[in-house]
Amino acid sequence: MNTLYLDGQSLLHRLSTRAKLGGLAVFSVFLFAIGHPALLGIAAIAAAFAYASTGIDWKPGLARLRPAFITIAAVTIFALLFQPPMEALIILFRLTALMLAAAAITATTTIGAFIDTITWAAKPFERIGLVRAADIGLSVGLVIRFVPEVTLRYRSIRDAHQARGLKVRPVTLLVPLIIQTLKNADEIAAAIDARGIR
Amino acid sequence: MDIHFEETSVRYEGRTALEPLNVRLTERRIGVIGLNGSGKTTFARLINGLVKPSSGKVSVNGFDTVKESEAVRTEAGFIFQNPQNQIILPILKEDIALGLKRKKLSAAEIETAVAAVLTRFGIPHLADRRTHELSGGELQLSAFASVLVTQPKILILDEPTNQLDLLNRNLVERTMAGMDENLIVITHDLALVENFDRVLLFSKGRLIGDGTPDAVITQYRSLAGA
Amino acid sequence: MSTRDLVLVALFAAIIVALGLVPPVSLGIIPVPVHAQSLGVMLAGVVLGAKRGTLAVALFMLLAAIGLPVLSGGRGGLGVFMAPPSGYLYGYLAAAFVTGYISERFVQSGQPGIVQGTYFFVAALAGGVFACHLLGVLWLAYVTGLGLQAAFLGTLAFIPGDALKALIAAFAGRAVMVGYPLLPSRA
Repeated sequence: MNTLYLDGQSLLHRLSTRAKLGGLAVFSVFLFAIGHPALLGIAAIAAAFAYASTGIDWKPGLARLRPAFITIAAVTIFALLFQPPMEALIILFRLTALMLAAAAITATTTIGAFIDTITWAAKPFERIGLVRAADIGLSVGLVIRFVPEVTLRYRSIRDAHQARGLKVRPVTLLVPLIIQTLKNADEIAAAIDARGIR
Repeated sequence: MDIHFEETSVRYEGRTALEPLNVRLTERRIGVIGLNGSGKTTFARLINGLVKPSSGKVSVNGFDTVKESEAVRTEAGFIFQNPQNQIILPILKEDIALGLKRKKLSAAEIETAVAAVLTRFGIPHLADRRTHELSGGELQLSAFASVLVTQPKILILDEPTNQLDLLNRNLVERTMAGMDENLIVITHDLALVENFDRVLLFSKGRLIGDGTPDAVITQYRSLAGA
Repeated sequence: MSTRDLVLVALFAAIIVALGLVPPVSLGIIPVPVHAQSLGVMLAGVVLGAKRGTLAVALFMLLAAIGLPVLSGGRGGLGVFMAPPSGYLYGYLAAAFVTGYISERFVQSGQPGIVQGTYFFVAALAGGVFACHLLGVLWLAYVTGLGLQAAFLGTLAFIPGDALKALIAAFAGRAVMVGYPLLPSRA
C-alpha cells in the first residue's frame, strides 16, 4: 500500500505537522463562519495555490481530487434544485476549499510525522489512564503489516471456493476470513508480550 | 542458566495441563518432546511467564516468573511456531528495533544494534524490506534477530521448524547450532535434539522421561507406538 | 487494554482495509457489485463487541487520515473527513458501537441459532443502517448545506443495499460465534 505523501521541498513540506493541522482547523472554522461567496471563492483559490505548491503533477494531482469532487458536484447540483443559486455557489466554494486544503496537507505530511503528532497529542490522555500513547503507533504498524496477509487469505479462500465450483457468496467468504485471521491474535499477542514491547 | 520448577502445576477450567512438577534446568542444550497435548508447550510457556502456574513457582536465574516477569523476559527470549506471527511491523529494521525501545538508546546505537543482530543471523540485506514479502525461513530468522537484539541469555523455542520447508528447517538448525545462548527447544522434529545435553519427555501433563537424548527418544518412540 | 485485545482490534482493522482493497462482490439480489467495507464495519460490532469493534473502526479511520488509501476505491487522506459523504464515515464509528452494544446485550452463547441471528440482524440494522445513515444525513444536511429534506431523499437509495449487508452481517456474525466466539456478554 502506497501512501498519499509525496516527497518535496515546499513550504508546506517544511512546516510542522502541528502547525498544518492547526492551520487546517482554523481555516475550516473560517470557511463555515463566512457566508459570502466572493470571500469563499478567494479561499478556494488560495487553497488551490496551496495544493499546487506541494509540487504534485497535474494528472495525479487531479486524479486524487476526482472522487471528492464528484460528490461536491453532485451536492451542488442537488442544492441548485432545492436552494437559491447563491447558496449552491457557497456550498461549492466552501467544500472545494476544504478539499484542496486537506489534500495539500495529506500530500506534504509523512505517516511518521502524523503518528508522532498523534502520539504527542495522546500523552495527556495517557495520564488519565485512557490510552497508552505508544499503542497508537504500534497498532498502525500492526495493521499495515497484516493487511497484505489478509488480502492474500481472502484471495485463497475465494480461489478455493471457485476451484470447488461453489458460487462465491459473501458469508462463506467472510466467515473463514475472519476466523482464520483472528485466530492468529493469541500468538501475535504472546510474541509481543514475550518481547516486552508493551 | 538456572531454571527451577518447584511443585509447579497448571490447571485450566477443571482440566490439568501440567501435573505438579519439580525439575531444575541448567544444561546448555535442552530438548522437550512429547505428543500433542502432553503439556510440553505449557511447560515452555511457564519459563518466560507467558503462562502462570496455578500452584508452585518457576524461577529463571533467580527471578520469579510471576513476581519479576519483566526481569525474566530480559533473561529469556521466546521463538514461536508460526513465522508470520512474530514480526509485527511493516519494515524489518523497525520491527527489530522495537525490542530496544525500553533501553533508551540513541538512534545511532539502535541502528548499530539492529545491523549487528541482522548480520549475526545472515540477513543484513533484509533490513529495509517489507516484512510481508519475506519467506517463511527469512521470517523465522528475523524472529531470532528480533528476540536476540536485547541479548537474552536463554532462548526458548516452541516448534521453531514446524512450518518451514526442509531447506529452511536446516537453516534454522544450523543457526541454532552456532548459538552460544542456552537453548530449550520444544519440538516434534527429533533430529533437532538428538545431539542435545538433555531431553525431557512429557505425556498427558506429566514428565515421564528425563535424560540423554538416546534414552528419552527411544522411550518416546515406544510411547508413540514404534 | 490487554495485548490480545489490541491485536484483535488491529487485525480487524486490517480486515476492514482488505475488504476495501479487494474487488467488489455481488450480493446476489442487487445487480451492482458493492464494496464490502461497510459490511466489515457491521461485522466489527457483531464479532468483537462495542469497545473493540469501535476501536477497530477508529483505527481504520486513523489510517485513512494519515494518508493511506484505505477507503474503498483507493481513497484516503484528510479530505475524506471533510467531503460530502464524510458523515457516513463518521457513521461507521456509530455503526460499530451500536451494533456491538446491542449484540453484547442480547446475544448469548446458549441461544438457538435463529435467535442469535435475529439479534445480530437487529443490531446491524440499528448500527449499520440507522445510526450510520443518521450521521450521513446530518452531515449532508448541515455541514454540506444540502438541507434535511434533500439529504434524506439522497440517502434513501442506499438503504436497501445496506439492509442486505446487515442481513449478511447477521449470518456471518452467527457463524463466527459458532467457530470462534469473541463477543463479550453484557446480557
